[in-house]
Amino acid sequence: MREKLDFLTELGNIGASYATTALSKMLHDAKLKLTVPQSRILSFSEAANYIPDPEEVVVCVYMRMVDIFDANIAFILPMNSALALAGFLTSEKSEHLTDLGQSALLEVGNIMLSSYLTALSMISGAKLKPAVPAIAVDMNGAIWESILADAGITDFVTVLETHFSTEQIELSGHLFFIPDHDLYEFLSSKVSGFLLEEST
Amino acid sequence: MSLAKTVLITDDTAFMRMTLRNVIQKNGFTVVGEASDGEEAVNKYKELRPDLVTMDITMPKMDGISAIKEIMKFDSNARIIVCSAMGQKPMVIEALNAGARDFLVKPFDAQRVVEALHKASS
Repeated sequence: MREKLDFLTELGNIGASYATTALSKMLHDAKLKLTVPQSRILSFSEAANYIPDPEEVVVCVYMRMVDIFDANIAFILPMNSALALAGFLTSEKSEHLTDLGQSALLEVGNIMLSSYLTALSMISGAKLKPAVPAIAVDMNGAIWESILADAGITDFVTVLETHFSTEQIELSGHLFFIPDHDLYEFLSSKVSGFLLEEST
Repeated sequence: MSLAKTVLITDDTAFMRMTLRNVIQKNGFTVVGEASDGEEAVNKYKELRPDLVTMDITMPKMDGISAIKEIMKFDSNARIIVCSAMGQKPMVIEALNAGARDFLVKPFDAQRVVEALHKASS
């Protein structure tokens, strides 16, 4: 189990590094701090209670893989961070999320999540084709429930979570990647070989 | 004196269309239309006959790869530049094989967009 979690952590690290590099570029090369990714294999009931502060209002950009593999990937920001990021990108000063601000967050989320997938594709050779991304503004718990429901989890769920923040603007957020069993096994077989080659 | 080259922008997010429009117009090109999905891009290409097209990949109704194929069927000389967050090698190859002249991975800087437009229009 330890080996499996180490592998997942490395996978999350690579994906999140690509995603936050893309975000940094959009923030005019702002320095972003990343936590070491947390990798968890949770039972369905543990997964349901995984998210802290379920009543906090957040903005979530979300993608589901289509084509060969199934997976879900999400970028979640607390509302204060979402407003700060939207304001930075659009130059709008608003206490509410405007249509343009929401569109900007959708694009940023799309770029970050796509970068995460590009990293995984590069090291595994898998084509990870996402459906059109969606954006939602809701309570943390409701967002998480709908991600789990969409992922069709019935027994165990593999969760990769990375927290990031920057001091340039008041911004912090989370990235979640939830592969299904087939994708996990595929990445596991491909990526362990890649990491071995890198270390030699 | 030659007329400014015309561009059709295709992207499903209003923010990205606005960003591209600002970059393109500030650099001597004329934006003649915008499309928010592949189907709209094909229809507007036929209607407006732009010199250049920017094309996103992941979009509702019809994705960018299918739209490139449809446009190339209509006009094999179409000059299409992909602007997509999907930088995965298989997707880049698919887009170029479909007829795209260049592939820009978001986030891109303005200079790179302008260079690609000049290169594709020359």
